[in-house]
Amino acid sequence: MKLEIKDLHKQFGEVEVLHGISFCVESGKALGLLGRNGAGKTTIIRIIMDMFKPNSGQVLLDGQSAWRQKVHIGYLPEERGLYPKKKVNEQIVYLACLKGMKVADAKREMCYWLSRLNVSEYANRKLSTLSKGNQQKVQLAQTLVGQPDVILLDEPFSGLDPCNSEILKNIISELIAQGKLVIFSSHQMNYVEEFCEDIVIVNQGQIVLYGNLKKIKKDFGRDRLVLSLKDRDGEETVKILQEQFRELMSVLEEQKEQTILQLKPDICKKQLISALVEADLDIESFGNYEPSLNDIFLENVGV
Amino acid sequence: MKQFWIVLKFELSNYFKNKSFLIGTFLLSAILSGAIIVPTFFMKHSKFSDDSGQHTMTVAVEDKTGVISDRNSFAELLPNYQLQFMESEDAVKDAVETEKVNKGFLIKGVNQYICVLKNSTISSEGQDPFEKLLLQNYRLTELAREGINVADVEKVYAQPMQSETIILGKDRANTYWYTYVLIFILHFLIVFYGQMIAISVTTEKNNRAIEILATTVNSNSLIFGKVLAGAIGGIIQAGIILSSAFISYYKFSDAWGHRLDFLFHVPVAVWIAFLVFGLLGYILFDFLFGMIGALVSKTEDIGRHSSIVMMIHMASFFIALYGLANPDTMLVKVASFIPFTSSKVMLLRVSMGTVKLWEIIISGGMLLGTCILMGVLVAQIFRFSMLIYGNPISLVTAIKKIREK
Repeated sequence: MKLEIKDLHKQFGEVEVLHGISFCVESGKALGLLGRNGAGKTTIIRIIMDMFKPNSGQVLLDGQSAWRQKVHIGYLPEERGLYPKKKVNEQIVYLACLKGMKVADAKREMCYWLSRLNVSEYANRKLSTLSKGNQQKVQLAQTLVGQPDVILLDEPFSGLDPCNSEILKNIISELIAQGKLVIFSSHQMNYVEEFCEDIVIVNQGQIVLYGNLKKIKKDFGRDRLVLSLKDRDGEETVKILQEQFRELMSVLEEQKEQTILQLKPDICKKQLISALVEADLDIESFGNYEPSLNDIFLENVGV
Repeated sequence: MKQFWIVLKFELSNYFKNKSFLIGTFLLSAILSGAIIVPTFFMKHSKFSDDSGQHTMTVAVEDKTGVISDRNSFAELLPNYQLQFMESEDAVKDAVETEKVNKGFLIKGVNQYICVLKNSTISSEGQDPFEKLLLQNYRLTELAREGINVADVEKVYAQPMQSETIILGKDRANTYWYTYVLIFILHFLIVFYGQMIAISVTTEKNNRAIEILATTVNSNSLIFGKVLAGAIGGIIQAGIILSSAFISYYKFSDAWGHRLDFLFHVPVAVWIAFLVFGLLGYILFDFLFGMIGALVSKTEDIGRHSSIVMMIHMASFFIALYGLANPDTMLVKVASFIPFTSSKVMLLRVSMGTVKLWEIIISGGMLLGTCILMGVLVAQIFRFSMLIYGNPISLVTAIKKIREK
């Protein structure tokens, strides 16, 4: 399956919140949808879910626009919501039946997911009596009941402790391995890095970065290097570099152990290392810089 | 359609599993049945009642003037009074004050007396049988003194007038009370369940369950399921409570001496009018309350925003109350065609007034049409507003946005 989002425009009153959003994601892959608060991520997800109609643009699955009735969709909204006064099992079965499942199948799957998420013992309890983390797990179970082919997870890790996060990480990895199509929105970049092959960074309703995460990282680090000099701390290293090699590079960040450099245009790594050796500097380490997703995100959306 | 039934079933189960719904239904049924059954025990065993079921009253009498010459004969003429003749005015007042007697009479002359009561009530107004007998005693004494044959005069006075009333329209004296009760039942159904439906719709937005529902359920199925579940819940609760009252009365109507027949003997035509007009009107107001629920995001905003719906409902209620005394006035006739008032007013016209079949059909059709239109409008408003949280949306804004789309 291939989900294509094509040139989405959305306006609320006079305010245009999405300006031509386009990306695609395939089965067996997860796409990380990133952006600052209010960037338009939830609006994109709601358009994918057909909760909002776009002013223009299309959401196609395998080239078809009327796909939502044909495939099961699992949606974990950012605004968590179930019935606090209803029992866990009653509401999961109710929502599964609304998706078109039979009661017996819904109950069987509910038992499976509650068990996987370690909340089986709460099946007969009212949701409001559960802790926030357990409520979150019940909501996840509700999302995954029905064996959805397309899964949209909006901040799935919020409210989970490290142990529960680990359980969820394993589940999401399994789902991707099973060939599910996953769209994953989160501010926790480490999780996005862990699961997502592709990322989309949205800022003020526009895509500022889209593509394969590995390639993005590689490109982002192409002209960047890390350097540390023997017996010199970061401050001294920066001072030397700025005094002697200004025309070859600029210092991006000074860290305790190493310094991150950006090569000037048309300067290659070989030129810089030759210059460093000629200056008789004792190099402790020199290598390519591997940016984190957090760095890429901050660079693209601004601080 | 399948989703509609799932929503309806789920929402109904919410009502039937709700403790306050169950306790309220049981308590109200028990109270109504009790109010009908329990008095029958007192009627049978009361020491204050005679065979005819009428209460016997103990009365103190002070007659210094000797107006009542034959006290035994006088007492026999008042079978419901147990007369206690006392020697002084203070003794009578004391007996009344200490509630040894129900009331007292101080006879001051052949045509003059003072009635002594501890507290006056509405029932203490009007001519007392004691006064009637005293007046009769005075007339007989005076006629005898004038030498007129008392028996002849009594014969003339005792001649009853042969009369019969033929009611061409409705017997309003008999229809008044059950019409009044049916209108009140409708009123309470709308007020209680309308608010509950509004709360049910808003709660779904408030707890964000709507985020999930909006992606899985058609908004029409959702709002129709919720509103109709509330309506059915109300009908079932009211049905159980009313049935308990009717069954209790039919079981104990003999013990009541059929004195409440005026409340419980409702003609079939009136029941049909109640079921058709009452239920359609009830559902129409339920949709209005559902719309209020869709326009607000917090349950605490419902009260403030439902005031306009309550005003429409109260206006229809007061027109119906006015119509109970004047069922054939122009106001009532016009109101019986306006869908927001016709549920109660057409019911009262069928029950108490004169109404033609074509009027009933047109009014019913208009009410049904308005119900359907309102349902569609509410579904659209719900669809538009279900993911808008925060400040309430005005109805005008919602309609404007829907028209823009």
